[in-house]
Amino acid sequence: TAGNKIFHFGSCRISMSVTEIRSGFTAIKANIQARDPVRTLSILSYPHSLHKVKSSDRCCITHHLFNFYVDKVFKHCKTEDSYVNRKISSIANSFLSVKRKLGQCHEQKKCMCGQESTEKFNQILANYEGLNVTSAAIKSLGELDILLDWVE
Amino acid sequence: EDALLPAPQNISILSTNMKHFLTWSPVIVQGETVRYSVEFQGEYEREYVNESWIPICECSLIAATVCNITEDISATVAYNLRVRADIGARRSEWGTLKGFFNRITTSLTPPLMKVIADGYHLLVELEDMGPAFQFCVLYWKKGQESRVQQKVVKEVSSVIHLDTMEAGPDYCVKAQTYVEAINRSSSFSQTQCVRAQGGRSMWL
Repeated sequence: TAGNKIFHFGSCRISMSVTEIRSGFTAIKANIQARDPVRTLSILSYPHSLHKVKSSDRCCITHHLFNFYVDKVFKHCKTEDSYVNRKISSIANSFLSVKRKLGQCHEQKKCMCGQESTEKFNQILANYEGLNVTSAAIKSLGELDILLDWVE
Repeated sequence: EDALLPAPQNISILSTNMKHFLTWSPVIVQGETVRYSVEFQGEYEREYVNESWIPICECSLIAATVCNITEDISATVAYNLRVRADIGARRSEWGTLKGFFNRITTSLTPPLMKVIADGYHLLVELEDMGPAFQFCVLYWKKGQESRVQQKVVKEVSSVIHLDTMEAGPDYCVKAQTYVEAINRSSSFSQTQCVRAQGGRSMWL
């Protein structure tokens, strides 16, 4: 359906409006990806795809990634295009809502971090910090569907 | 020096069935057309982007005193909204909505529903209220209210088949909407009852 879905990350259950996030992203995907100057690199998938993460680590990685996008990525994606900025705002506010829910799971010890997820997230941060901040943010935003596909 | 334009007053939200409108009282200046511009600010902007505001271009320099903000209120967080007035080079201060708006407070109305007896088939037509809406349809044989059946309709396409009826008893139906994004339901619609009679539709 169009709307929320309940996601189960082990004992952490959260509802997420993936369809709304995805439609917001789809509306600006081409515009954002056209701004990505570095086509040969991936922030989320280098060297390994997110799909390699063990299921026991999925909650932690998801928590890290939503924090990453809210804390680091969206704020550096402002464009000269008002429509794009509005869609980024819509995605960012949806991510903030989900980040909070994941944070609650983390506080309730339902979203524990294993070594693998920590290593994977550190790799993502290294990929991100290997570029200048605007390029890294735009590239990360352009890879949002990779994250959404993996989460779904 | 031109007097400063007064800021728009009585700024409020009309939100029904996940459609959200910002409205305000007109600023009256004799012989002049006053134009208005609207901006919004989500929780993300408040907490992570220095309380920045985002203009809604469909509501920039408009003469109307209403703005459809549905497209921008697309997360279940608290939003701030503001509007200002312009006449040429003269510009008012911002008038800001008192309190935040969160779409979780939208008012949900029962769905429009039409129950059809097509021969022995019990059908229902539901109003298409947009992608955010699902429906819970309850139906039962009159007099057997304890044996209510339920059908969840996730996407409204065409007519929905509920049941195959026996000849004779009335069959009653009512429905409510459900919005997953805010995890809320409307109240139920009026009950409608029909009866099967041979091949002919029978409307009570």
